[in-house]
Amino acid sequence: MTANVETLRSAFASAEIGLPADGIPTVRVPLVELTSAVQRVTRDLGFNRFVDLTAIDRLTSEERFELVYLFYSMQRHTWLRLKTRTDSEAPSITEQIPGANWYEREVWDLFGVRFEGHPELRRIMLPDDWQGHPLRRSEPLGFEPVDFTVTRDVYGGVGSQVSGLGEHA
Amino acid sequence: MTADTRHLIPGTSERSERELLTVNMGPQHPSTHGVLRLELRLDGEVVVHCRPVIGYLHTGIEKTFEAKTYVQGVVLTDRMDYLNPLGNNLAYALSIEKLIGCEIPERATVLRVLLAELTRIASHLMFVGSIALDLGASSPFLYVWREREKILDFFERISGVRMMTSFIRPGGLVRDIEPAIVSDISRFIDEMPAYIDSYEELLTANPIFRERTEGIGGLSADDALALAVTGPTLRASSVDFDVRKSNPYCGYETYDFAIPTGTVGDCYDRYLVRVAEMRESVKICRQALDRLTEGSVRTEDRKVMPPPREELAKSMEAVIHHFKLWTEGIKPPPGEAYVGVESPRGELGFFVVSDGTGRPIRVHERAPSFANLQALPKLTEGGMVADVVACIASLDPILGEVDR
Amino acid sequence: MALSHDGKNGSPGFLLTRLEDWARESSIWPVTFGLACCAIEMMATGASRFDMARFGSELFRASPRQADLMIVAGRVSQKMAPVLREIYDQMPEPKWVIAMGDCASCSGVFNNYALIQGVDKIVPVDVYVPGCPPTPDALLDSLIKLKERVRTDSRAARHGAQTGPGVGIPHQPS
Repeated sequence: MTANVETLRSAFASAEIGLPADGIPTVRVPLVELTSAVQRVTRDLGFNRFVDLTAIDRLTSEERFELVYLFYSMQRHTWLRLKTRTDSEAPSITEQIPGANWYEREVWDLFGVRFEGHPELRRIMLPDDWQGHPLRRSEPLGFEPVDFTVTRDVYGGVGSQVSGLGEHA
Repeated sequence: MTADTRHLIPGTSERSERELLTVNMGPQHPSTHGVLRLELRLDGEVVVHCRPVIGYLHTGIEKTFEAKTYVQGVVLTDRMDYLNPLGNNLAYALSIEKLIGCEIPERATVLRVLLAELTRIASHLMFVGSIALDLGASSPFLYVWREREKILDFFERISGVRMMTSFIRPGGLVRDIEPAIVSDISRFIDEMPAYIDSYEELLTANPIFRERTEGIGGLSADDALALAVTGPTLRASSVDFDVRKSNPYCGYETYDFAIPTGTVGDCYDRYLVRVAEMRESVKICRQALDRLTEGSVRTEDRKVMPPPREELAKSMEAVIHHFKLWTEGIKPPPGEAYVGVESPRGELGFFVVSDGTGRPIRVHERAPSFANLQALPKLTEGGMVADVVACIASLDPILGEVDR
Repeated sequence: MALSHDGKNGSPGFLLTRLEDWARESSIWPVTFGLACCAIEMMATGASRFDMARFGSELFRASPRQADLMIVAGRVSQKMAPVLREIYDQMPEPKWVIAMGDCASCSGVFNNYALIQGVDKIVPVDVYVPGCPPTPDALLDSLIKLKERVRTDSRAARHGAQTGPGVGIPHQPS
């Protein structure tokens, strides 16, 4: 694993490289370098299989969403994580990696991060007319209070009253 | 029909472009393996354009994880890939154990392998039954359910539940497996190869089955890798990649098993690969049963697994550990972890992000079917509309993990 | 249809109505509406160990126009809810609904934004089956309970009238 980190340090001179608990080397790049970083990772460093793209809502005032890309090298049998931070937009990598298509749509749908250059950026999980991006940590879970007798002080006698989505007592 | 009378037939046109027919293979369909919707545009019988629409089973599970403790989250993992519940539990538990860094006893590890492989056999049995049923053969479905019921009976004896067992938790297993059940599983594993032979006898050389799956839905190795496809679908396209071999977990490097691969990457190859994988899983189960020793099935780390109940009467420390686990739950140090495991559908992993409290801030499942389903347009476009069913069945998607 | 009239004039008489009830309860054919994990247990119920066919549910009909029963097996998401209602509407009367499992009854483990909190918010339900997923035995039990109801009052109890049409949905007569 250390040899891998050394290779990465030489490939990404300015980026921050870490090694979290699972042993997968993590390269943190600024958003403007994302496309070139992905190209370097997939072509030059041999991480030829795209595994996963997801986002984490860090709830900071700036650069709120952390995009996490996961790649895998079929030769060396190791993973690599590429991270970047963004407020609302990111370049799409679907042209280079067709497999990232639905992953970017999912992040757009659930987090609201717009991917520039995506061939068809539409909602994928939620209905087309849904308002909001539910996986943001600022959005509520949207649970319906259940009428347990022990929580009547908290929620009131809910009974047959139906609460709307996103509202709780 | 001569050229003079063609103009009398409605709809015929001299234009070279043909009008495409849009057919919706709706979310409610007997052969879509769940609530998958396909927008098909057809030129006669030929599929020109296929667009899968998913999201009909979106359950907000990833958001629900953030409201639950780590152990409560195990219950949610069962329900994502619902044909591989123990495999999901295992992937989730491995990610959390990586975050915490706790030791799992040997017996627990071997039993985890046994349960994961039994689940793989059960899932592939369901695949054989459903691909046969989709293509019109209804008997294999009933036969495979006979063996699947035996496996579900074992799960019920072990955990009390047939399917959503939540038996593999961070820190080990919920409880030990009695020797009587182990010996019954052993007898079942000995009988299993003969049963797999009987399913092969029904389907593998069956001319109708072969006609409907050979040469249908071919996927090349390069396309499969570019589309992030994994699992038996990737292996059928002659890429011999299996996470159990390349990045072993739970001691898989010590087990002797082969990776079946296909040659052409068509639906028939995907079927053959899964049947061969069942045989390999039987071998792994046999080895796991043979090397099973006495021991504990829970980690000694009292911040992860509660102490045994007898200790609560004797030790104050045990009571405090028990109390803290039940009120605050497991509190992994801040960080993130992803452990890839091989599910019956491909590379599965849970990306768990912790901030040091009892609840995760993000849990994301890398669902193999989500990526595999992206390959569906490639498989179906250019083929006949009747082959769409064979293609979907051969990909073996589970919409529960696609939509989460 | 004259057979279904309760009226005294032209009433078909005891024998024919009983015959109609018996016929209806002996051949309740469900529509394939397996959504998630409960669908697997529904398939188990249809397979040879538990065998729904011996209770009359010989086949699952893919087309709702040919089915009498909708077993909502699984969680109903926001996107799926209109589809569910449309399939329900396409079924001809008399029709019944079994809410199989915790997710269909009350959204089960998933009390969140993404699911309809209980399918009875959009369709009237006759039998709720608890379990996550319910064992095939439980589903068979619910089928037997439904058959008892069909046998005793399949004509009068348009299930909208008996169980209530679902919270917030005005009852549409006939």
